[in-house]
Amino acid sequence: MKSRASVIGGVAAIAATFVVFVIPFLFIILMAFKDRQQSALRDFSWPNGFHLWDNVVQVVQTRNWMMVTAFINSTLITVASVTLLIVLAAMVGFVLARRKTRYNGLIEFLILAGLMIPPAVVPTIWLLQGLKLFGTLHGMVLIQVAYNLPFSIILYRAFIATIPRELDEAAVIDGARPLDVFFRVILPLLWPVTVTNIVVQSVGIFNDFTNPLYYLPGNQNATVQLTLYNFQSQFNTAYNLLFTNILLITIPPLIVFMFFNRQIVAGMTAGAVKG
Amino acid sequence: MAGLELKSLRKNYGGVEVIKGVDLSIEHGEFVVFVGPSGCGKSTLLRMIAGLEDITGGELRIGDRVVNHVEPRDRGIAMVFQSYALYPHMTVYDNVGFGLKLAKTPKDVRDKKIRDAARILQMEHLLDRKPSQLSGGQRQRVAIGRAIVRQPEVFLFDEPLSNLDAALRVDMRMELSKLHNDLGATMIYVTHDQVEAMTLADKIVVLNAGVVQQVGSPIELYKKPANLFVAGFIGSPKMNFIDVTVQSIDAGTVTIVGKDISPVAIPADASGISVGDTVTLGIRPHELSNASTGSIVGQVMLVERLGNETIVNIALPSGSSWLAVLDGDHRLAIGQSFALAFDANAGIIFDKTGKARHPAG
Amino acid sequence: MAVSSIAGVSDVAAANRPMRSRSPYPGWFFLPAAIIYSVLFLAPTFASLYFSLTRWTLFDSTFIGLDNFVQFFREPFLVQGLVNTVIYAVVTSSLKVVIGMLLAVMLTSQIMARGYLRSVIFFPVLVSTVGVGITFTVLMHPTAGAINQGLALIGIKGPGWLVDPKLALYSVALVDVWKGVGLATVIYIAGLVAIPRDYYEAARIDGATPLQNFFYVTLPLCRPATATVITLSFIGGLRTFDLIWAMTKGGPGFASDTVASVIYKQYQAGFYGLSTAGNVVLFILIAVLVVPLTMFLNRKQGHE
Repeated sequence: MKSRASVIGGVAAIAATFVVFVIPFLFIILMAFKDRQQSALRDFSWPNGFHLWDNVVQVVQTRNWMMVTAFINSTLITVASVTLLIVLAAMVGFVLARRKTRYNGLIEFLILAGLMIPPAVVPTIWLLQGLKLFGTLHGMVLIQVAYNLPFSIILYRAFIATIPRELDEAAVIDGARPLDVFFRVILPLLWPVTVTNIVVQSVGIFNDFTNPLYYLPGNQNATVQLTLYNFQSQFNTAYNLLFTNILLITIPPLIVFMFFNRQIVAGMTAGAVKG
Repeated sequence: MAGLELKSLRKNYGGVEVIKGVDLSIEHGEFVVFVGPSGCGKSTLLRMIAGLEDITGGELRIGDRVVNHVEPRDRGIAMVFQSYALYPHMTVYDNVGFGLKLAKTPKDVRDKKIRDAARILQMEHLLDRKPSQLSGGQRQRVAIGRAIVRQPEVFLFDEPLSNLDAALRVDMRMELSKLHNDLGATMIYVTHDQVEAMTLADKIVVLNAGVVQQVGSPIELYKKPANLFVAGFIGSPKMNFIDVTVQSIDAGTVTIVGKDISPVAIPADASGISVGDTVTLGIRPHELSNASTGSIVGQVMLVERLGNETIVNIALPSGSSWLAVLDGDHRLAIGQSFALAFDANAGIIFDKTGKARHPAG
Repeated sequence: MAVSSIAGVSDVAAANRPMRSRSPYPGWFFLPAAIIYSVLFLAPTFASLYFSLTRWTLFDSTFIGLDNFVQFFREPFLVQGLVNTVIYAVVTSSLKVVIGMLLAVMLTSQIMARGYLRSVIFFPVLVSTVGVGITFTVLMHPTAGAINQGLALIGIKGPGWLVDPKLALYSVALVDVWKGVGLATVIYIAGLVAIPRDYYEAARIDGATPLQNFFYVTLPLCRPATATVITLSFIGGLRTFDLIWAMTKGGPGFASDTVASVIYKQYQAGFYGLSTAGNVVLFILIAVLVVPLTMFLNRKQGHE
């Protein structure tokens, strides 16, 4: 049915995207298979031997198993902040979508401000020190929640606006108290946008480099993104280990991607078309 | 036993009064229908009774309690919504049982109540389904089941049949009637459809612009509408009206005449009306018949032949247009002259304020 | 008598109870979010307005007026950071708009292997920015890098991507586009899918060519998506730090410094007041550029 021109176009598109988007990842994988000497060449040569496992072991053991600590820290931070974000943002989105008060304008202004304004780094550190939260995992969690709330709220509010209000009222008549209405009726209905939130925020927080750099100093507090700096200075850049490290920390997003590929697109859709 | 008592109930939305002092008493076990055009406040009134809207002023009693500030769950009411408002993520079983679960009813009691309600509504086979797997009529049943299971003293219905197709609506109407007889509970029902109101109600409350126009049995409203609004709203096709002049007043009758009508003496309460006044005459289309001696003569504009009856649209000399519903089939030519007669007892005189002047007694 | 008076009392008590307590949308639902947001985001933002006017050691601060700002605008490398930030934001957001839209048009057409293309284009969005930065730093090495070696194969002498001061900022921007264009594409796909087919059919009956279709139907009707892409990527571009830091650390020299990397450098050097002043400058820069931009984009939208 389709003309030859479109077949050629399709092949060209596949080839172009392969070169631009796939080859860099192949490069990472190849490098992770090489030994130190060969990786120093930084070329596209085929690995002369299977060194992936050795590299992984070495990366994981480096600096007193820092990688393990980092994975635990990053996972804790991600899970805790995303959980808090989901519940708190959905609560705000719910009341914001349902109740029209004169404060709505102010709240929406603050949400937009949160999306735009860059966090004031040093004053935040000063404040965290005052609150004894500086350099702690729970401090980091609260920071991630504060910084990412606006985006989650926007996603939730747009979705909640599509849920008929009669449902809340039916629940009220059924004897539901506010917390019942929210947790038993509304929150379960938000599942599609909750998935979007989980994916977007967990990937963002897991990959976050800047905020842990500022607010979570110290080796015992390392997050996975910071482990990348282990091999650049320390070993005079051991490229095989560096790329093995990149490969390792790419696995969690890859898993998320494989499970939620479809939902991400659908979820972003819901938020974006509305503007 | 729960009757309701509304005492000068008011509702303001930011300075705009939408319910302007409603007084109403509803007996236990009555089926009361609130009817009126859209925006008349009937749904707002129902939602105030449900506790979904705050009451700005006045007093609401359910049973012997003032419930102005009582939570909906403690008012002894249940409500069926226009869109059914079934919880999409719960099965029919859980939808029906949600209220009981919130009330921490023991599991076995809950189960029995859910199954009883399902049996009454003949939807036992639907219990494991999700709302999305149900037809409109089935959703309606689930919504009613959710109300029944609470065993409320008062059922509230907010235009529950408006999302169903015509045939299903007739069926559900009958089922609701039957349910009312079986349960013996008080039911308050909101609709804009006067046929639903006429067929279901023990008592109809006609509302317009936040004011009760008339309260009465369906036949009372049909036969003796209190004013022009009720006369025009109740009955289908709509009542015909023309402006006429009072020619003379006798004991118990008012003789009127007009551009469209030769003098007729209509039984009416003439107090306060004087000769020469302009009043409105109303006659239902079904009360008109074709007679060459008729007091009203017009031109046939449109004929709808339904077989058992014929609906004729007639243009009167003044320019107003009337409908007549004639028994049997009539073959009429467009443009032909047509004379209408009616029994003087069927005519209703409305004074300048729109109030009906039914004869005394 | 007694009974009725008790009932009366309870009625009065009920009447005095605030109505609001009954709302199924309680205001305190805002509270936890509001506390976290105010304490950890708003409060430091307001504090920054003061601390940017001080010489600050975290333990004590001396008020020095606008000195930090004066210094900021007097040091050429700091001013360059400001200019670089704007260049970076403009370049990345406009490339993302153009490429994202073209890719989306391609991916919503009847092209083969759509699933593969979509996945491949979107995946970099989910990958660690620092990882991407390091990978491309290696690939972009002027001699040993795979990109220039590849170009050499077809007889082109590749430029010094990250070592040429004139080029470094743009190289980083390119990588930013590589990583972020998938998001723009997805947003555009959403916008394109939402355009009713009727418009294209009507245009076809009116005899529109595919190019006319694109300019008179697609482009105007996916304006909400364009607004989202521009706003998101422009703000992101102005705030960018991690990619710059991973690839050039602002170098060579200060050639690819942005305000965000300047803030970090000043922080590292212990110039907390100056760093905070950088924050305020960035804040003002974003406000001055983004607020009119979004107003412009939304005005156009409302006009339709």
